[in-house]
Amino acid sequence: MSREDQLRKRAKELLANKEVAMVLGYRAGKRPGRATPAFVTRPEDADILIFDDRCGMNLAAYLPRVKHRGRIAVVAKGCDSRSIVTLLKERQVDRSQFFILGVGCEGVKENGRLSDSCTTCAYPNPVICDEMVGEKVAEREPAPDPLADFEKLSSDQRWQVLMDDVSRCIRCYACRQVCPNCYCPTCFVDANSPQWVGKTTAGSDNMMFHLMRAMHMAGRCVECGACSRGCPMGIDLMKFNRKVARVVRERFGAVAGLDPDQPPALAAFDPNDKQEFIR
Amino acid sequence: MKPRVVSAEALTRLVTGWAKNAAVYAPVKVKDWTEFRRISTLAEADLTRVNTKLSVRGLLFPQCETMFRFEAARPDKPQEADQPEAQVILGVRPCDAAGIAVLDKFFAGQGETDTFYQRRREKTTLVGLACPSPADTCFCSAVGGSPAGTRGLDLLLTDIGGRYLVEPLTDNGESAVKDLPEAAAADFAKKKEIADRAAAAITLRIDTAGLKGLLDSADSHPVWEDLSLACVNCGACTFVCPTCHCFDITDETRKGKGARLRVWDTCQFCLYSQHASGHNPRQTHVSRFRNRTMDKFKYTVDMVGEVSCVGCGRCIRECPAAVDIRETVETLAMRLKE
Repeated sequence: MSREDQLRKRAKELLANKEVAMVLGYRAGKRPGRATPAFVTRPEDADILIFDDRCGMNLAAYLPRVKHRGRIAVVAKGCDSRSIVTLLKERQVDRSQFFILGVGCEGVKENGRLSDSCTTCAYPNPVICDEMVGEKVAEREPAPDPLADFEKLSSDQRWQVLMDDVSRCIRCYACRQVCPNCYCPTCFVDANSPQWVGKTTAGSDNMMFHLMRAMHMAGRCVECGACSRGCPMGIDLMKFNRKVARVVRERFGAVAGLDPDQPPALAAFDPNDKQEFIR
Repeated sequence: MKPRVVSAEALTRLVTGWAKNAAVYAPVKVKDWTEFRRISTLAEADLTRVNTKLSVRGLLFPQCETMFRFEAARPDKPQEADQPEAQVILGVRPCDAAGIAVLDKFFAGQGETDTFYQRRREKTTLVGLACPSPADTCFCSAVGGSPAGTRGLDLLLTDIGGRYLVEPLTDNGESAVKDLPEAAAADFAKKKEIADRAAAAITLRIDTAGLKGLLDSADSHPVWEDLSLACVNCGACTFVCPTCHCFDITDETRKGKGARLRVWDTCQFCLYSQHASGHNPRQTHVSRFRNRTMDKFKYTVDMVGEVSCVGCGRCIRECPAAVDIRETVETLAMRLKE
């Protein structure tokens, strides 16, 4: 039985046995090459479910929005499962509320190519799950350090590289909306009394948004790349994500989304934290 | 108005001539896509691709536009913003031009005229380019357009192999090409062949009148909840749309000086409909999703007498969740009839 057949069979069983109220997975989009989230509530509809290299969205982003529907079975790749761990740590979802159907992931495609975030993926298999669908996949040889060139630049040059990129931003907030970490009821950019961030697409306002968003990702972002893939303007958001993840790893020895019992890196104090930047 | 023909070389000379008296914009390759950028010679343009990343609307209704400037010390003396310069926009696809015709209705049609839009519009010449092969996201002919449609344009160019058929559509367009040689019957035949082939490539049909009738009483139908589940409520679809025209007004001030700006806004954001009291009549995700679909296929029909989707397919191409407005419309037509 193929992995997809197995996925559909288990989805059907979970729904028919009333173990879950909904299976959150993927189905083929109308446009060839795209997949869209599927919200299956009837066993007979489970045959629309797919899992392949089109399935680049991080389904954990939908969990807080559908949890009121009852117990949810969610299809989770390595990165989705790590985002679920982040949501658990931050008490946004309750582990008993959902059933994780884990899938090994060979990487997702974007415009026919392996998505940039997947080239450095160290966790292609779910870090938590209730049940694996199909076999675990072999870990891939990670690509050479994608930040190497960027980190060699002077701080002025780095600023320019980021500014060139974010100057294209149209402030549609697709990056925020597809991100499982962005569940705040009111985002800082939507606060208007006081208004923290200007509404224009001038470089300074755009940079303010992207830097503040990056800071809020520290110790939480699992580098799934959903924001980069979702950006209509092709902004390299993984550059921000990778840099922030690297700083957290180097300073606090923490990697996001691995252990639900480990406190969030930036929400816990440890006397051994490097703090030479406070003088 | 007499149709004419222009060779690639003659078009190059024509564009260089236009650039002396106006800002000329055309699709220019940027990364994996094209965007409207100012050009000085035709060689900078890439006219081969269907549909720039963002629609042409930003050249008439910029994402961020200064309305006026002010100084705290002189509150009674606001300074007018700079007047826009004359512009020629080359390579506008028929769907985008139809989008401008829709914007004209909102900004310069009934009721108040929007001076900021109108003063740009009056100084704009739209030079269209017929689509020889639509993209897999295109559906202009399903919503009243066509790959060689002329609506909204001053001129329509059709690539008939090494040269272009030039159809003047307005006096403004006519005067821009009056020195070109007239077209022959064979040039027309070639254009018709290209236009017919492009039209045949789009197979989707939408019964827009029937859909409008169904939407008239569909406010509380459960189909909206199902359709909206995948939507993440970002603003990508509205910002890439050629006909979305909502804006917010904001002040930027620094050291006693400032400017009043208008910036694109979108019904997909919660803040868009939030009242000063804190009450928000469009609080839910599903109500915001419904609003956009209703707006395209019902509200604007009520307001200005036509559907405001021109079938450019950008919202399909750019949606991070692969929500497809064609599928939305098909599902609505099916479920609302039940």
